[in-house]
Amino acid sequence: MVDPVATTAMMDPAGLKAIGAGLAVGLTGLASGIAEKDIGAAAVGAMAENESLFGKGLILTVIPETIVIFGLVVALLIS
Amino acid sequence: MRLLQKLKRKSSPTHRGSGSNYAYATARVRAMKSNLLPRETYPRLMNMGIDEITRFIEESQYKQDVDELARVYDGVDLFEHALNRNLGVTFTKIINISEGELNYLISEYLKKYDIWSIKTILRGKYCNASVEEINDSLVAAGQLSYTFLSSLAEKESYESVIDALSGTDYYPTLKGYDGTNLSAIENQLDKEYYNGMFYAIGTPGSNDRKLFSKFIRTEIDIKNLSTLFRLKKAGVGEDEIADLILEGGLHLSMKEIEKLLPLPFSEFINSLEKYPYWEDISDIVSPEMDSLVDLETQLTRHSIKSAASFSHMYPLSIVPIMDYVLNKKNEVNNLRIILRGKAANLDEEIIRNQLVI
Repeated sequence: MVDPVATTAMMDPAGLKAIGAGLAVGLTGLASGIAEKDIGAAAVGAMAENESLFGKGLILTVIPETIVIFGLVVALLIS
Repeated sequence: MRLLQKLKRKSSPTHRGSGSNYAYATARVRAMKSNLLPRETYPRLMNMGIDEITRFIEESQYKQDVDELARVYDGVDLFEHALNRNLGVTFTKIINISEGELNYLISEYLKKYDIWSIKTILRGKYCNASVEEINDSLVAAGQLSYTFLSSLAEKESYESVIDALSGTDYYPTLKGYDGTNLSAIENQLDKEYYNGMFYAIGTPGSNDRKLFSKFIRTEIDIKNLSTLFRLKKAGVGEDEIADLILEGGLHLSMKEIEKLLPLPFSEFINSLEKYPYWEDISDIVSPEMDSLVDLETQLTRHSIKSAASFSHMYPLSIVPIMDYVLNKKNEVNNLRIILRGKAANLDEEIIRNQLVI
């Protein structure tokens, strides 16, 4: 038999919110990292040949950053 | 990190893409492609005199090569050397910027230039050419460096050249060279090159690999077609042609070619109608054709066109890099044709026919 008092103590809403917020930022951070990996590499490659591509490369590299921003917004909304 | 790598290796038993930097290499090569001369440049070059053309090349991406070689050579020779050197440097750069599987495939593909240079040296030794003459024709775009190749060219006899190559993959074939059977050895080297290429590709599982294999097999088709045209035109016997045919073509498999071999020239041309190459060559091919120059430029054009269309299908694969390699080679060839043609006072029409734009 599971003790209902103990279960309530373990499932502290504030704690769960914190875990949720952490997951939202952490996982989206990883996701942006993975997405930016190839774009960043490609941008550096293109820039090595043609320096004027710096601006375009930078913008394209940070586009997946939106993923982690959404994660951050969700985290802020939760907590 | 090590755990991650282990997991990655386990999940991909074929090592597909393991450690390859497709994104970096293809983006860089595409940026390099944008530095190639645009097609409108060639008609402009055709209208220039030789001095203007040399100045144009001096101011282009070949500047550094021209400057460095200006101490040793002059005139049209200087530009020929500069173009060759630039080709070598560019292709070595592609090998250097790629990693893993991509690097392996590109190095295998560029072995073509190693074979070209070995053939050049052996041919030079065969007809007693001077060291300078051999050095003039070397293109160090593969794994063998220019210093090594020119040290081979300095060797006294073909035996010592072959001995110096004893550590390479070509040695077993070269060992069979006895000073007389040069064409057989050359042919065998080519066949082994393509065998090695197919071994490197393996059984293509992914779509981009299939495309790369298609690219190589189209190249074989085009080589076989021009061999067939040349030898049929010269009336060479069936068996002799069969020896020179490369296996593994895309549309012209060995079986198909065996059917084409016994046909006389006019019927041979008619039977090409069912192949996709016909579309590009139908206008210029006729049983009475005198020169094969138009045909060969048209075939080269076809291979460049098909490489370009392949490269748009899978942007993150080896195919865009192959597309660049073909285009770069073509640019160097075109510039050389214009320079040499103008230097020899050839008619503009003749030079234009040779160009692949």
